[in-house]
Amino acid sequence: MVRYVLKRIGYMIITFFVIVTLTFIAMKLLPGTPFKTQSRLSPEQLAQLRHYYGLDQPIPVQYVQYLWHALHGDLGGSFQYGMRPITTMLAEKFPVSLDLGLEAIILGAIIGILLGIVAGIKRGTFIDYGSMIISVLGISIPSFIFAVFLQYYFAVKNQWLPVAEWNGGISYHILPVVALSVAVIANVARFMRTEMVEVLGQDYIITAKAKGISSTAVVFKHAVRNAMIPVITILGPLTAAIITGSLVIENIFAIPGIGNQFVESILTNDYPMIMGTTELYAALFIITVFIVDILYVIIDPRIRLTGGDA
Amino acid sequence: MMKMPNNDITNDMFLPADIDTTQSEKISRQSLSFWKDARKRLAKNKGAMISLVIIIFIVIISLIGPHMNNYGAYKQNLHLVNLPAKIPVLEKISFLPFNGTEHGVDIYEQRHIKQNFWFGTDDLGRDLWTRTWKGTQISLLIAVIAALADLVIGVAYGGISAYYGKHVDNVMQRIVEVLSGIPNLVLIILLILVLQPGLLTITIAIVSTGWISMSRIVRGQMLRLKSEEYVYASQTLGASNSRIIFKHLVPNTSGQIIINTMFSVPSAIFFEAFLSFIGLGIRDPQASLGSLINRAYGVFQIHPSQVLFPSIVICLLLICFNILGDGLRDAFDPKLRK
Repeated sequence: MVRYVLKRIGYMIITFFVIVTLTFIAMKLLPGTPFKTQSRLSPEQLAQLRHYYGLDQPIPVQYVQYLWHALHGDLGGSFQYGMRPITTMLAEKFPVSLDLGLEAIILGAIIGILLGIVAGIKRGTFIDYGSMIISVLGISIPSFIFAVFLQYYFAVKNQWLPVAEWNGGISYHILPVVALSVAVIANVARFMRTEMVEVLGQDYIITAKAKGISSTAVVFKHAVRNAMIPVITILGPLTAAIITGSLVIENIFAIPGIGNQFVESILTNDYPMIMGTTELYAALFIITVFIVDILYVIIDPRIRLTGGDA
Repeated sequence: MMKMPNNDITNDMFLPADIDTTQSEKISRQSLSFWKDARKRLAKNKGAMISLVIIIFIVIISLIGPHMNNYGAYKQNLHLVNLPAKIPVLEKISFLPFNGTEHGVDIYEQRHIKQNFWFGTDDLGRDLWTRTWKGTQISLLIAVIAALADLVIGVAYGGISAYYGKHVDNVMQRIVEVLSGIPNLVLIILLILVLQPGLLTITIAIVSTGWISMSRIVRGQMLRLKSEEYVYASQTLGASNSRIIFKHLVPNTSGQIIINTMFSVPSAIFFEAFLSFIGLGIRDPQASLGSLINRAYGVFQIHPSQVLFPSIVICLLLICFNILGDGLRDAFDPKLRK
């Protein structure tokens, strides 16, 4: 176990290093500079600006400097916002995005697990087909299209819910959270159904039934608990889906989170901001996958890690 | 039940069974090749067949659609901006959005416009019927090229990695492990930023992460197949490595490969639309389904119908490709074979 964890941590560090390097290279290859739009600048002023931001150094020097500063938690300043430190800006906006993402994952997991359980128990019935149709729709329809139509129907046309903004209370959260959780619901429901069907066919379920335990107890004590374990494994891909979704959902509902900021900084060539956000997303993803893998081993003792090739 | 007499059982009560040696080799189940079997199973799957028909229908209409009127995809006309959809016969059916009215007002009558725009026009007066189908063409083109590139790269990488094994495999798998740790969104956005948005760039960006899952599937399958006897036999007969990979291993992995390719099509369609929606996609005046939705979203609170048609087309495509992919998976899964 210890060996496995150490190995995984090693990979995490390598992966993260690769990402930081790739991001840095990408930013250096980018066409256009952040100063391009201010065409009034004289060459001297431009040179001064470039010197001020360290852009006149050789690229390897910039790279080492960047790594060194990043290690100390300094990701530079945003070009767009008068050199406000990236770390401060991300720290400010991250809670909003985290809030949105967690709400969507929790809502999605609860509904998805319930749908999956019901579909698995009532296999081959109307309920099963119904929930599987919902899950195919949820997997297929992009969250931004879903969001656009939710926004139109509930906010523009009928004005039951606010169109956008985030900080006005629970009613402002409903539409974005629902839009973002659709993919979670669909994936969890489908996965949960497959697991339920498999678990319900196991010998220990037959044994439990043979002992005369009521079918509700069999389902909830034996089947559901065992079926839920593998669902943890899709948390990694779901985090990626939530991050992807949040870029557009935050944009559509004007939520002041990282996703919204990221799209904005892409469109304004705000290099340090793009780099910082990219690295934050990557770290989030890598750490989630890591935690999920470790949790999975801890929760399910049947999984044995072989020290040699795990 | 009949009562059996307690008498002895004598030999003359028995007859030797009629053994026909020519029949002993007969196979009771009708012999079906792998492909025939899969095809038969797929044909039985109603959802998958309906999806296939809808996909074919969308492909055909996206090819002939732009030629069904002569407004052209790029021609702007500021007198004809933001018109709602109007289709001559269907306008009589009140629940369909084809009667040329918006918020209860017949825009065509109000602005004295004689032509019909089947899907309406956008904020520059371009015909949305033509642009929607042009956009469908582009989205499908990107998706198909991306899926094929995933296939080629993934099969080659996975095949080489599994076949040569040992150090080659070790190095190649470590690379994949690091790559798969990077969220694909991040890699795709970085690539597009560097290469400038465009049809080719989007395809490259989608492929840059898409091939990994294919290579993993192919490698897993091949590691299993590698120790099959027919591969040993072929090796003994002196077949070259590439011959064994491409004649024995690849065909036997083909079911899995096809399923995975089928699923990479909708994921490519999604990513293209997603990128266009955040402003990193196809550039105007070219259109893709995603860029049409993005543009329509700009005027969406006033003219909501513009966002409707490209959204319906893209949702239909994604749903149908996913259902077809599920159907193929069921059809090719040997575990279900009876």
